[in-house]
Amino acid sequence: MSIAPAELAHADIEQDMSVDRPWITLVWNDPVNLMSYVTYVFQTYFGYSLEKAEMLMLDVHQKGKAVVSTGPRETMERDTEAMQGYGLWATLQKDD
Amino acid sequence: MARAFKRKGARFVARLDDVERQVVVGLLEQTHELLVPVLREQTGDLFEDLVSRLGLPRLKDLGDDSSPAPRDPALDRLLPSAHREDPALAAEFRRLTEYGLRERKAANLAKAISALQDSDGDNVRLDREQAQAMVVALTDVRLLLGERLGLRTDEDADALQERLEAVSPEDPQLYLAGCYDFLTWLQESLIQALMGM
Repeated sequence: MSIAPAELAHADIEQDMSVDRPWITLVWNDPVNLMSYVTYVFQTYFGYSLEKAEMLMLDVHQKGKAVVSTGPRETMERDTEAMQGYGLWATLQKDD
Repeated sequence: MARAFKRKGARFVARLDDVERQVVVGLLEQTHELLVPVLREQTGDLFEDLVSRLGLPRLKDLGDDSSPAPRDPALDRLLPSAHREDPALAAEFRRLTEYGLRERKAANLAKAISALQDSDGDNVRLDREQAQAMVVALTDVRLLLGERLGLRTDEDADALQERLEAVSPEDPQLYLAGCYDFLTWLQESLIQALMGM
């Protein structure tokens, strides 16, 4: 942990604010993971309601993929790693 | 005869006989073996050994091209590429996360193995933490079995039954498919119990 000079900290914030396209975490359909398990993971990790978790799970199952979270790249990297830890087929990319 | 997981008070209880427990433990162990990060011998190079002790991949072990043994395709399913269109970003993500993911998956599988080995006879009784470890461990085993059975798409899964009807009774695929179905049934019951349904 270090104390950054005031100008530098300010510049960092400005740079963050200028990022208008956030990153997204995607979960892809696969033939192994159970629909109930995918719902369970979305509820457990993201704290989503059962309704939201089920809606995302159905998107994964029927449309082949779903955006499960949106935000800064570091957060999406953490979410992708967590989803892979649960055995879901997760990727991240810049939103487009 | 196995009985599926049910919630009983604070516990998640199932009934698995000796053979069933042995089969499940054996599959958990095989998955553990595939995932556990390889312990590296000391190289004598101070920097490399320090990096190794910190649990980071050594520079010379990085990148699929440089590793001497071909990568087991099941690993690509258990530790999939995190970027579909950017191989450089995918390699970077793998470099930063693969060791930690392998460690956590291996620890989780070990927890599930000891929970089954500590069972009271045929009665498997898990606390919530063990149940959460078990449900993820069963996923990793099913992903491995699914890869061995060639399940890459929903269509593959739908066609599996038909494909198995055509193979000889001694085909090991039949045994794998039996294990896969058993674990699917067991995992589904544990998810329902964990979700309080």
